[in-house]
Amino acid sequence: MSTVPLPSGRPTQPPPPSADQIPSPGPPPTGAPFTPPTPAQVAVPLDGKIIVDQVSKFFGSVVAVSDVSFAVDAGVTALLGPNGAGKSTLFRMMCGLTPTSRGTVSVLGADPRTDCAARSRLGLVPQQDALFEYLSAYDMTVVAARSHGLSGSDADAAARWALEQVDLADGDDKPVGQFSKGMRQRVKVAVGLVNDPEVLILDEPLTGLDPVQRRRMIALFHRLGDDGRCVLVSSHVLDEVARLGSNVLVVAQGRLIARGDYHDLRGLMDDRAHRIRIGVSDPRTLASALVERGLVTALNLEVGTRSDELVIDTADVDGLGRQIAPLARELGIRLTEMQPLDDDLESVFRYLVEGR
Amino acid sequence: MTTDEGLSPYPFVAQSTTVGAGATIGLVYGVVLRQLVSVGRIVALVLLALTTTVAGFAIGTSDTATITDAAGIIGNLGLAVVVPVVALVFGGAALGDLREDKTLVYLWLRPMRRFPVVFGAALAALTLVVPVAIPPVVLGSALTGVKEGIVIATVLATFVASLAYVAIFTFFGVWLRRYIVWGLAYILIWEGFIALGSAGVAQFAIRKYTRSILADITGADLQLADFSAAAGIGIPLAASIAALALASLCLARQDVD
Repeated sequence: MSTVPLPSGRPTQPPPPSADQIPSPGPPPTGAPFTPPTPAQVAVPLDGKIIVDQVSKFFGSVVAVSDVSFAVDAGVTALLGPNGAGKSTLFRMMCGLTPTSRGTVSVLGADPRTDCAARSRLGLVPQQDALFEYLSAYDMTVVAARSHGLSGSDADAAARWALEQVDLADGDDKPVGQFSKGMRQRVKVAVGLVNDPEVLILDEPLTGLDPVQRRRMIALFHRLGDDGRCVLVSSHVLDEVARLGSNVLVVAQGRLIARGDYHDLRGLMDDRAHRIRIGVSDPRTLASALVERGLVTALNLEVGTRSDELVIDTADVDGLGRQIAPLARELGIRLTEMQPLDDDLESVFRYLVEGR
Repeated sequence: MTTDEGLSPYPFVAQSTTVGAGATIGLVYGVVLRQLVSVGRIVALVLLALTTTVAGFAIGTSDTATITDAAGIIGNLGLAVVVPVVALVFGGAALGDLREDKTLVYLWLRPMRRFPVVFGAALAALTLVVPVAIPPVVLGSALTGVKEGIVIATVLATFVASLAYVAIFTFFGVWLRRYIVWGLAYILIWEGFIALGSAGVAQFAIRKYTRSILADITGADLQLADFSAAAGIGIPLAASIAALALASLCLARQDVD
């Protein structure tokens, strides 16, 4: 699937094409503002275990989520967005924890806010670091199992299975209130898993995990997805999303701005103009040479307070990387630093949303 | 342990799509009871309740104490302050604390009906209110030294008051973010001030009914105590059920973090 940047709203005409008919708009022209795709490019057939259809959420005059539509099926899907983008609000609406202001949410064909039975097939790992502090990991998971209707040895077996998935099966009788942040995260995931949910929604589940546990947790999500479960994971960290899988939904400012393959998203990042600060002994000479070779689309000698730096915009990061060192040698000047100024998620969102 | 190849199989368990009312009440009762127990909170509330014991003892030391004096102390201190405040702390916190610390999601997002959740939480609160509030007030009534059924009346009135206030404040805990402030306003301003000023308004105050139980059984002459003991028991019980029903409705419509 290609990454498809989306404008707000879901068009009704013409009828939506199937997923493989959706053309990719391709990378936007280098250095040019991002152009929203045509309606045919953005129509998404809404069919899946989770269906979010033209959903908006307002908190008073604040628009938290604006006219978002998408569908998610089995496998791992990442919901990517900066803090405050509306990811948690979307998750809360998907779980029925808060009603939509407009539009409808369907999970496994039902509304979990009103359908009691639908909640038995749903698992949520909430973002907030909240647990029953006085319980041990085992007891907390047993309580969760019992809250899904399991009792006695069934609750025990389900709790042990869930704890095993997050490497907490060895049993620590300490109350979870005394656990580290990473262990608490793992308990939360065990609680979300204990009913073997068909749909598992995880809000920033990797926060606080060490690199080894992060890797193991991501592997667990993939195993759950491979088993046919619908696993939806939110994150605001681009590198985490790279490892979560190829299906990505990008949310910013309450809107769904892109969906598709992570690698296409990354490509979109790489294909746009990049801003780089270069520390150099003679900025003017280097600037002239870079302009002559067509390696920059814009440059600024006045940005820094230091007299030995140059800020450039380039559409050809790879070409610049290959040529700049030989060029400096040829010019007899010394390079001290090359620092990307916009190689972060915020700048990707800014690019997708604002075209800059 | 899980393997790199795949997920270990989920155990064969009897899964259901909804949790029965009994199981829900039992689960919520256990969780909430443990959440409510706090030594500091209990000690502070027992000390508050002991003021009625001390006041009863003071009445008892007087040679001229009458049943109306004794009932007045129980009605104005035990039933008007001690029981409502203890019920507010435990009843409001039953679901209010879970909402505040964001653990409510672990009970809310489950295949459980809302009324048993609320009922289990209120039952847990009542389990703490009864031993904290009732014995000191009953002891106070006994220490007054008057004999006209004051102890029996106090037991009955404080138990009915505990039931009604726990239900009302459990509703407050679900409904209102600042349930302690609103609860105190209800106790002190509505029941303690506005309801005293008008017989019509007093019908919407639990205090009127619990005082009626006290007055009807002992024959004491208490202000705003003009119902029979049966009405004094029945109407607060009906109000309790209504409050729990409202709480479950409110819980179902809750915005849960």
